Amino acid sequence: MQLNKVGIGLIAFFGLAGAAFAIVPILAGVPGEVALILASVGVIWVLVAAGLLWYARRQKRKAAHQDWIVRQGLRGTATVLYADSHAEVNEMPLMSLRLDLDLPGQGTREVKRREIMPVFAASRMQPGLVLPVYVNPGDADDFVLVW
Amino acid sequence: MSVDSAYAELAAERGLEQLPGFDTGQLTPLLVEAKGAGLRPALRGALGEGVSGVVGELAYTRNRTFRFQVALTEVPAATAFAPRVFCIRRGRSTRDDEFYGFEARHSKLWTESAALNERFEVSTSPFQDPNWLRQLFSPSLVDWLGTEPPADFSFELAYGALLGSIESDDPGAGGLAALCEATAHVATRIRRECEE
Repeated sequence: MQLNKVGIGLIAFFGLAGAAFAIVPILAGVPGEVALILASVGVIWVLVAAGLLWYARRQKRKAAHQDWIVRQGLRGTATVLYADSHAEVNEMPLMSLRLDLDLPGQGTREVKRREIMPVFAASRMQPGLVLPVYVNPGDADDFVLVW
Repeated sequence: MSVDSAYAELAAERGLEQLPGFDTGQLTPLLVEAKGAGLRPALRGALGEGVSGVVGELAYTRNRTFRFQVALTEVPAATAFAPRVFCIRRGRSTRDDEFYGFEARHSKLWTESAALNERFEVSTSPFQDPNWLRQLFSPSLVDWLGTEPPADFSFELAYGALLGSIESDDPGAGGLAALCEATAHVATRIRRECEE
């Protein structure tokens, strides 16, 4: 798993354009007040890029951890007990799921999970749907739901 | 020949039931694109040997009008193995509704077949069992996908709903029959892999 091009493009855009806004007017000798406004915009954009970079690194670590769980974890099933959504992110429902986690040799237990899903996936999250799941062998609350 | 008469001819040839329209629901990405447009005209019955479903025209407007001929069937057992598998003709023009941001929403599936990779973009939801997917995309299925189905064929498997589609506005009864056969072939292959 890797960061996608959209994320890298956003970071590059805000970082490079922000740096340009902050530095170029000063180097070009733009009058003080205008340079200050452009520099402020530039600094804000650089901060946005830094925030995105932090978020991207966090997501990369999360993805690496999920990859590890899939490779080393216990494979089981998760049966949807309850699914609902009260919010959307970019036209995609934020689903609240209650799941019955079933691991071979460990029985079943109920867990909760929230996922942002495309509409076609959200519409299929009905009670009774069985999905694959991988569970961290050292922490039963740490699992990857394959949806 | 108009699309309506092609569907009427297909219905007569294969003994399919003509429907006034069919509401598919938002089962796959292509059907989400259509925002509940439904299928018109639509036929219900046997798509191929042992596979029943609905075949019809899906038309929707997003800046411009898109028209697809689609065949919809169910393979419920697939959900436990591979909730999502998309095999889409490269260059197909739709609008992708998914927000990617910094999260992986799809995993591209690796295959050894250059012919398949040239013709299709195969993707799955992340973390799906790669062994099961490689068994599904066996050499025989890969060869078949590269040579047998209609040139503009694609399929989407999402939570047991299998949607085969072609982009032709007016494929004639023969083209529609080929769509039905191709979708039925994929459904049978997935079903067999689930049983194994």
